[in-house]
Amino acid sequence: MAACFAAFSGCSSQVTVNDPTIPDPLIEKIPLSVAVRFPDQFDHYIYEDQLAGREKWTVDLGRSNELLFTKLFSSMFNELTVIEGGMDPKDMPIDAYIEPSIDAFEFSTPAQSQTEAFAVWIRYRIKIFDKNGDQFANWPISAYGKSQTTMMGGDDAMRRAAVLAMRDAAALIVMQLDKTTRISRLNRSKLSRAAVRSEPENPEPTMTEPVEEASKTAASEDAIDETG
Amino acid sequence: MKRVKQLTDHVGTFVCKALLVVLPCIIVSACTTARVEDTRQQSTGILEGEGVVIMARSYHLGNETEMSFIDCIGSAISRGSSGLRVIPSAEFVDALFPWFEPRTAPSDTKALPDFIERPGVADMIAEKGVRYVIWLDGDTDRVAGGGSLSCAAGPGGGGCFGFAWWQNDSKYEAAVWDLTALESAGTISTDVSGTSFLPAVVIPIPLIARTKAKACRGLADQLKLFIVSEDA
Repeated sequence: MAACFAAFSGCSSQVTVNDPTIPDPLIEKIPLSVAVRFPDQFDHYIYEDQLAGREKWTVDLGRSNELLFTKLFSSMFNELTVIEGGMDPKDMPIDAYIEPSIDAFEFSTPAQSQTEAFAVWIRYRIKIFDKNGDQFANWPISAYGKSQTTMMGGDDAMRRAAVLAMRDAAALIVMQLDKTTRISRLNRSKLSRAAVRSEPENPEPTMTEPVEEASKTAASEDAIDETG
Repeated sequence: MKRVKQLTDHVGTFVCKALLVVLPCIIVSACTTARVEDTRQQSTGILEGEGVVIMARSYHLGNETEMSFIDCIGSAISRGSSGLRVIPSAEFVDALFPWFEPRTAPSDTKALPDFIERPGVADMIAEKGVRYVIWLDGDTDRVAGGGSLSCAAGPGGGGCFGFAWWQNDSKYEAAVWDLTALESAGTISTDVSGTSFLPAVVIPIPLIARTKAKACRGLADQLKLFIVSEDA
């Protein structure tokens, strides 16, 4: 009896997501050369929550976010470079560099929601910088995944809900990244052409002018939160 | 030898009496009321090589259709001599990524022309041979219940006594979209309700009304007829 009680009182579930396996998206690439810097949290993201009076859940996303964004951005842009260690993006021949991060991770279990489903919310933040290192856009996005419990048990449903949330984020980024942040305006060749056109009238710095204009547009949209 | 014969007779009599009691219960438990209706908006029909995809409505819209029900419809619709080719929904959604995700999939047929014009979408649909998308909506709920049942166990054995019952209602709707005409072909709905009983005298005897399974069979049969039939 005591052994049974001990076994049940220490109840916990651990879920590991290794690879969200994002398919090749059916999209036209944005003509940009982009670099991406992943934060340390993307190396081994672990979320733990002890539900009041219930079991403890540990969700280990491992390197799945790094795999997600590498796959996503390499499909979305003409060129992608992953910035590692002390590399300085200002020294690189790029149009823009991006820093994705996780702001928040939450989940609900069937016991909490009084349904038969597990749900996962992930709030990502996408920061975009121009080639000079100035922040161009700051875009928070909320992704949501939901999966019903199956014969395989709660762990499997939680894992699937997390993967669905990551796919949801990917879909949202594909659909809205350029519309919301105007990242395509950072194309160097376009900026150069704009600079040449404006040179006779204004011999002062022209390279950054369209970027600044674009920054104003993007800045006004910084607070937009694309929730599901 | 005579005693063995008497014992056999006793057992036979007991089994017969038990069957007399249990059989009506089984027949009663099998009583479910089912209704299947369809509304056709345009003519259908399916050519060789064409298939269907069965999808659950997006959970972003609050849908809670069970995966087991979707699997059941897919399995039932592909069986038999008039079975349709069913393309697995995961394969279809992956092939069209990210345009058929819960967030991005067209929510009504008005959005189909824009959806089909996205780069690579029309080619991928043609490659997969998908003619119809069937959207499933609905779920099975317990709408009523009552009675009481208690079980006890001790060193000498255990048993249950009492009677419990509950009523399930399975309501589902299937919307059929024609990806060639880019229009809705129509909708089919089913509503099955049934009451399950659990009498227990030492051993509980569950008499289950399988409303979800019946809704699946009814909806799948009607979907096959609806799609294969060329009536307008």
